[in-house]
Amino acid sequence: MRSRAPRILVAGAVLALVLAGCGSKGTQNPTSTGDTVNLGASMSLSGSLEKEGKLTQQGYDYCVSTVNAKGGIPVGGRSLRLHIDYQDDQSQPDTAGQLVDQFNDKGYKLILGPYGSATTGAAMAVVERNGQVMVDSSGADDTLFNRGYRRTFAVLSPASVYAASIVDAVNELATPKPRSIVFLSADDGFSKTVAAAGEARAKSLGLTVLPGQQFPAGATDVSSALTRIKSGKPEVIVGSVHLAEGIAIIKQAAELAVTPTGGFAETVAPPTPDFVTTLGTKANGVLSSSQWVPEVKGSDALFGTATDYRNGFRTQFGQDPEYHNAEATAACLAMVLAVRNAGSTDPGKVRDALARLDEQSFFGALKFNDRGENVTKSMSVVQIQNGKLVTVWPADQAAGRLIWPGTNG
Amino acid sequence: MSRSAVAWALGAAVVVAGMVLLPSQLYTGQVRVVTAVLMFVALAQAWNIIGGFTGYACFGQVAFFGIGGYATAVLMEHANWSFWAALPVSALGCAAFATLIGLPLLRLRGHYFAIATLGVAEGMREVVTNLGWLTGGGAGITVPTVGGRGTAWLGNDGFYLLFLTLAGLAVGVATLIARSRFGYGLRAINQDEDAAAAAGVNTTRAKVLALTISAAITALVGSAYAFQQVTIYPQRLFDVDITVIMIVMVVIGGAGTVLGPIVGAVGLQFVSEYLRQHYPQEHILVLGAVIILVVLLFPSGLTGVAGRTGLLDAIWAYRL
Amino acid sequence: MTSFLQATSYGLLQGGLLAMIAIGFSLVWGVMNVINLSHGAYVLLGAYIAWELHAAWGLDPLLGAVAAGLVMFGAGYAVQRSLINQVVNAPIFLTLLLTFGLQLVLVQGMAVVFSADYRSIATWYASESLPIGDVRVPSGRLLAFGVAILATVVLVTFMRRTRTGLAILATGMDRNAARLMGINARHAYALTAGIAAALAGAAGALVGLVGTFSPPDAARFTLLSFVISVLGGLGNMYGALLGGLVLGVVQAWAGQYLPGTWVNAVAFAVLVAVLIVRPSGLAGRAFYEARVEAT
Repeated sequence: MRSRAPRILVAGAVLALVLAGCGSKGTQNPTSTGDTVNLGASMSLSGSLEKEGKLTQQGYDYCVSTVNAKGGIPVGGRSLRLHIDYQDDQSQPDTAGQLVDQFNDKGYKLILGPYGSATTGAAMAVVERNGQVMVDSSGADDTLFNRGYRRTFAVLSPASVYAASIVDAVNELATPKPRSIVFLSADDGFSKTVAAAGEARAKSLGLTVLPGQQFPAGATDVSSALTRIKSGKPEVIVGSVHLAEGIAIIKQAAELAVTPTGGFAETVAPPTPDFVTTLGTKANGVLSSSQWVPEVKGSDALFGTATDYRNGFRTQFGQDPEYHNAEATAACLAMVLAVRNAGSTDPGKVRDALARLDEQSFFGALKFNDRGENVTKSMSVVQIQNGKLVTVWPADQAAGRLIWPGTNG
Repeated sequence: MSRSAVAWALGAAVVVAGMVLLPSQLYTGQVRVVTAVLMFVALAQAWNIIGGFTGYACFGQVAFFGIGGYATAVLMEHANWSFWAALPVSALGCAAFATLIGLPLLRLRGHYFAIATLGVAEGMREVVTNLGWLTGGGAGITVPTVGGRGTAWLGNDGFYLLFLTLAGLAVGVATLIARSRFGYGLRAINQDEDAAAAAGVNTTRAKVLALTISAAITALVGSAYAFQQVTIYPQRLFDVDITVIMIVMVVIGGAGTVLGPIVGAVGLQFVSEYLRQHYPQEHILVLGAVIILVVLLFPSGLTGVAGRTGLLDAIWAYRL
Repeated sequence: MTSFLQATSYGLLQGGLLAMIAIGFSLVWGVMNVINLSHGAYVLLGAYIAWELHAAWGLDPLLGAVAAGLVMFGAGYAVQRSLINQVVNAPIFLTLLLTFGLQLVLVQGMAVVFSADYRSIATWYASESLPIGDVRVPSGRLLAFGVAILATVVLVTFMRRTRTGLAILATGMDRNAARLMGINARHAYALTAGIAAALAGAAGALVGLVGTFSPPDAARFTLLSFVISVLGGLGNMYGALLGGLVLGVVQAWAGQYLPGTWVNAVAFAVLVAVLIVRPSGLAGRAFYEARVEAT
């Protein structure tokens, strides 16, 4: 010990000095190298949000292949190819923040958002600090946009619309009109915001809102929440959830014979294909809100209409896109349009171009308010009918009629 | 001063100087990587005090990390404290908490202590999640850093220095303990608790003190982490993976030594960072394989191999 | 009253399945003093095996559980023989580290091979339920519960009544003495690991029957096994069963009478309280509590 320790210390000191001496600050690989625009994306490629992260990545990838197939992004008389550099944030917010800093080191000033509200929040703070620009594809929690950040723009509708749009649709379309409703919510920030806004909407429409229940996010056993609401006989049960809890509600409601006379509605979970594949016929009749459906009006030069988008995506991946895919593609599209409009990859100019952006697309309107939220676009309401998602609301997008009560299907 | 003491002082001075100057040579993202390494050096060293020296596998160490972080966030957000006041108070509060739970829990041995502390950590996460009015619940809490409230964010270089200081503190405390009578008492407990008691070590006092010191350092790190992250969530602040990583680092480096946790933390953090950057899709798979190989090839820890135990001896010693 | 009975029955059924998940973990821990952090991954592997068999040939998950058990027996045996036996004499942390690495490889491997999709094995009976008065007893869970109890009884009988079982128990109590009696300790340990993996795999098939699974669930299953093993106590074959049932019922009651998000907090409070009052678990033996390191 006595003879060995100083040598190790000296070795450490030498190492530290070598490290200190050989780094050198400067710019490497700037956002546009030669004829390529490099975007950085911190993504949940592993960890608890891996599934959703992969869907987001598919949406980004589809954007890249489409943009490059159409000749790239016209910038100042040249055409730049698009490239996205993915790094795995393991679904952890702190890692996502660190990765955005590392992108900054590489000179990547233009960032596409990670999956989820917590990771997006962490990335937003770093983007702001470094003078980068981010387009957010999935962080919907309204509180993210109350923090005064000016360099993040979200293409999707905020959390407060998720359940409220379902309440609107049921109120408008269902006969007989339900009188009572109950909200079951996971306890993460996003889900709680969704449930609170949904309850407020239901109250303002004159529905009786029964006492809601919460369970831990990611719970696979929600039986006690169901037993507790059973006696109140709610006509509509709304789950403000993610996939795991959403599947558990339908599965366990069947086991416990909790059958509302109106129907079930859930946010986020039903549009994911896994919802139907795991629940089979029990999924039929469940309502959900969706950031995007193939009936969305509007089109753009890159992806065409929403139907074109679906067909093209299907050709490339062999499956229909769901809204996580579409919102990712839309975020990438907003970035591409802003770079084109700015005629530059300079982050300041791209940021201003995003703030001014006002375009129609396969995803609907892309236009941001001064907090960076896309409030022009609405959410659609879908129902699972015979194992397929059918758009039922709003009227101008409806591809089928609402089946009510939904629990008879 | 003896020659070896001079060598120590010189070596230490050069290390400190090199580490302080390091960020001026790095990109911000690289600074952040090194900052994370320093954070884990401090955490691993803190765990080493209770887990390595004393031999009590605290599987709930992340509870202290989370309590430190949340105490700081709550004091800054609700009581308008500055970070510099919240930092030591969080650590003291957490130390008191550790003393309180240590008294009943440290009577348990082996895995039972491990699982009881794990229960405490998981339970604390649930409590923090459920006290939404105070902690923001699952939606997280944001430390005030702008608009004249709270303390201005320190910047990447500032946090580098903060975590460097904490890592230095953890290593310093561990070194002092390793060379003190108290430290010999802890090692005696690790070897054979009954024999240590028979030899006159006040085992209860020593164990509780070790846990308290370990918890205080962990809480300091958690506090600084909360300030660095700005917004914190119970899922992450009480993430059992953080405990597991601390243990993995200590065991890879060599438990119960001062150098081991440093080597383990630096090595594991750099390897996993390298893998993540170069193999974004498969890095965890590769990391798992690396850990398996390290265990099979260096069963007594990397520092243990460098020491008196021959590589082959160690491999054969643990075989069935 | 109805809701109390409903919660209690549901909790008991859930607890039986939890017990089956944990029993192999408890066995390995009791016999070898190894905490197998890859146990949850074994459960998931079993679930994927049953899922694939159901998808390919429509094999019912109850039969799939048998197949998953057999495959996982081989896997558990091989892993023990080739990897864990190499360091089984080392301090407990080292086996912990090894199985942690194994867990990373298995979970990430499953994500690569099977994707991160949420899966469930759909059967016609899983979501049906038997009405008993006003209480609903879900038939899928009832079947899973029955299999779990049966597996526990078979395991205990095997351990106590067969030469092989007694050899394993003897090795667990004193390896050197067992060796002197002519027991091949390497083989005995590998058999133990194989049995544990088989039970985990079969339990995984049942998880697929009554619920959903995806690779990140592995850590949750391991954590549950850890809690249940300690709650029940080591050294008693029925310990894990008791621990599982207690945990299931406590969670169901907490969910019924407290805000839903407190469920986990209550479960862990009960765990810590049990440990403080009865350090060797509800049904454990003091010998295992005092044993810190294998010799």
